[in-house]
Amino acid sequence: MKIDTKGRFSFSGGTHPPGSKELTSASEIRPGPAVKRVAIMLSQHTGAVCQPLVRKGGLVQAGEKIGDSDAFVSAPVHSPIDGKVKEVALQSHPVLGRSPAVIIEPHTHIPTKQPRPRAQDAFDVGSYSAEQICGTVHQAGIVGMGGAGFPTRVKIEPNPRLPKETLIINGCECEPYITCDYRIMLEWTNQIIAGIKLARKASGCPKVFIGIEDNKPEAIEVMNAALQQSADTDAIEVVPVKTKYPQGGERQLIKAILKKDVPTGGIPPMIGVVVLNVATVAAIAEAVVYDSPLTHRVVTVTGEAIANPGNYYVSIGTSVADLIEFCGGVTKKSAKVIVGGPMMGIAIADLKTPITKTTGAITVLTKEQIGRAKFARRQTPCIRCGRCLEVCPEYLNATKIAHAVKNNLLDVAESYYISACIECGCCSYVCPANIELTGYIKTGKIFLARQKGEMPQ
Amino acid sequence: MLSEIRVSCAPHISQPLSTRSVMIDVIIGLVPAVAAAGYYFRIYAFVLIPICCLSAVATEWLCNLVRKKPNPLESLGDFSAIVTGIILALSLPPSLPVWAAIIGSVFSIAIGKMVFGGLGANIFNPAMVGRAFLTASFGMMMTSWTVPATIDSAMPRVAAENKIDARTQATPLAWSKEAIKDRGQRTEDRGQSRDERRGTRVVNDQLGAMLAGEVGGCLGETSVIALLIGGLYLLIRRTINIHIPLAVLLSAFVFAAISYIINPDAYISPLVHLSSGGLMLGAFFIATDPVTAPLTNKGMWIFGFGVGAITMLIRIVGEYPEGVMYAVLLMNAVTPLIDKFCKRIPVGGKPSIK
Repeated sequence: MKIDTKGRFSFSGGTHPPGSKELTSASEIRPGPAVKRVAIMLSQHTGAVCQPLVRKGGLVQAGEKIGDSDAFVSAPVHSPIDGKVKEVALQSHPVLGRSPAVIIEPHTHIPTKQPRPRAQDAFDVGSYSAEQICGTVHQAGIVGMGGAGFPTRVKIEPNPRLPKETLIINGCECEPYITCDYRIMLEWTNQIIAGIKLARKASGCPKVFIGIEDNKPEAIEVMNAALQQSADTDAIEVVPVKTKYPQGGERQLIKAILKKDVPTGGIPPMIGVVVLNVATVAAIAEAVVYDSPLTHRVVTVTGEAIANPGNYYVSIGTSVADLIEFCGGVTKKSAKVIVGGPMMGIAIADLKTPITKTTGAITVLTKEQIGRAKFARRQTPCIRCGRCLEVCPEYLNATKIAHAVKNNLLDVAESYYISACIECGCCSYVCPANIELTGYIKTGKIFLARQKGEMPQ
Repeated sequence: MLSEIRVSCAPHISQPLSTRSVMIDVIIGLVPAVAAAGYYFRIYAFVLIPICCLSAVATEWLCNLVRKKPNPLESLGDFSAIVTGIILALSLPPSLPVWAAIIGSVFSIAIGKMVFGGLGANIFNPAMVGRAFLTASFGMMMTSWTVPATIDSAMPRVAAENKIDARTQATPLAWSKEAIKDRGQRTEDRGQSRDERRGTRVVNDQLGAMLAGEVGGCLGETSVIALLIGGLYLLIRRTINIHIPLAVLLSAFVFAAISYIINPDAYISPLVHLSSGGLMLGAFFIATDPVTAPLTNKGMWIFGFGVGAITMLIRIVGEYPEGVMYAVLLMNAVTPLIDKFCKRIPVGGKPSIK
């Protein structure tokens, strides 16, 4: 059967940044560096920060839980290695600034964990109950690995108030440069399908869609072929979607596949939808079938300035500096190290920043690249050209919000629905006047949260 | 390993666009109209257009000096003053004295733009502010028209048979105004010959010449084809949106058609209305000035509809033969209101939870 890999559906707005995925799209997932020190952040997810369960000097084993919280919206963290706790100290966190982390040093040299697609096609979900799956997903510390880090248990656990109807698996990977989800789909196909079956059983969703952008035809074909071989996959369907940034945003993906709008300020379960990233479902299979907690993940190390870009199966807690060094260091004159991709990623100043559960990529851009973009050019006055309105996937008036924040008129910014912004960066990307619209909007959100007392000063 | 690390907020890449590249696009879009002006009005175009550009740029520099900007030359780099200069020149009568054109350019930039704070802060289209000032101050000069150089000046095709001085051949719209004023009096006492001379038929017959631009009128507004080519370029480059030009032309067409259906003897045909005067220049280059037009699509439709309707109101009912300039200025004035009432509702609807 000829599989149609052409995407027909999308959302309105959006933009087309150059993909630059060819740097790493052919590179197989390889084991990451043997670490001399890992720093496990106690907050790698949305929700309550974990309390450390270990003390300085204590011994830990690989897979041992080292931090947990009683809160419902939270996820425990585990040690990726056998070793000794050096200390519990503040570390640079890409989003939270300084944040507590458990720092572990290995006993001796430990061979790196091999990436392995272990689940077989003959995987049978029948032997697992929904409660068992949810419990294991929570205990394994699985969170959304696409970037937001929302605890997966909270997403998939049945909720009588918000019945779930559709499970969407997000394999879009619309962010430029990143290819980790693409490689996972190609290499760990069976594991993803096992994870999908488990997540479907746990959430009780009758229908499953796998959304993949049509710039990844191999992934679409491989997933389709694997679904045909595997039993009990009638309700699972691969949907090619148009290649457009930010197609991988969950609101945009739901719009493209189901033609439904998630209410502003709401979450997908309100319309009966659960969205999980492909890396997350692969982690679910790993946790449930092999009882292995989330201690490693695939990270794309890429950018024109990296000597050996590629996809690596890395211990969570590895520092960015170790990872870059492992990839042959930086060749060209580099200027910016980004945790994530160039559109939504966070530029870090401290290379000791550890990899977390949500880190999909490390992108190192050259000086020329960022010089072409934001640094060489100064911000000029807004000429109201309306490009930011055209590209906004959430149909917001970016320039009005940004200028309201700039002039400290937060009530005006709210009247233009500042909170509906998904911070995808499309407006800043297209702005001819070089205005950091996304930056202003993010700042405005923080100011508003402080004003309402939701965030410390 | 890393010599320097920079941080900034996302996104870290951007499209190679700048205000200057947008303005250069507009200038490229204006090239066909400028070429047509050069072809039909020769020396007038070669003098007026550079003069207007130069004086506009010089005025902006002087204003920056007065405002004690650290680098008075910096804002000139966005080329917006040049765009204003070209558009103003294209909307001036060819025979306007150079000194008047300079006054117009100075007024455009100084009062139309810089007093508001420069690019992006002005309420009214600067070129139209300058032109309105000239119309109010030198009404006679602003309504003296020149025959295109491609018409034999001794025997202008239209002017000769109507015994009007070739140097001041009226524009098609001025003709149509005459027709409107003659309405009801064109029976026995006036006679058939006069009716033929001044009636709407003469104007309607000129449609072909108007498409090419071989009629009297302002420098850059006569050639419909050149303006359409430029407009198409801007649309393809996505420098302008289709909404405003389409709304302007549609509403103008509708109003012209209504009047034409009511009395074809007194009112010229809608197609002639669309291709005459500044409507094409206005629809594609003046009303679409992003700074003074609304931001949202809905707002753009209202704005464009207003420009078209007011233009037609002035042309058909008002005293002036032409109304694009006042229509644009009036709609500029209500742009903030339109923006206020045409807010975009986010994709997921208004937030239900506060």
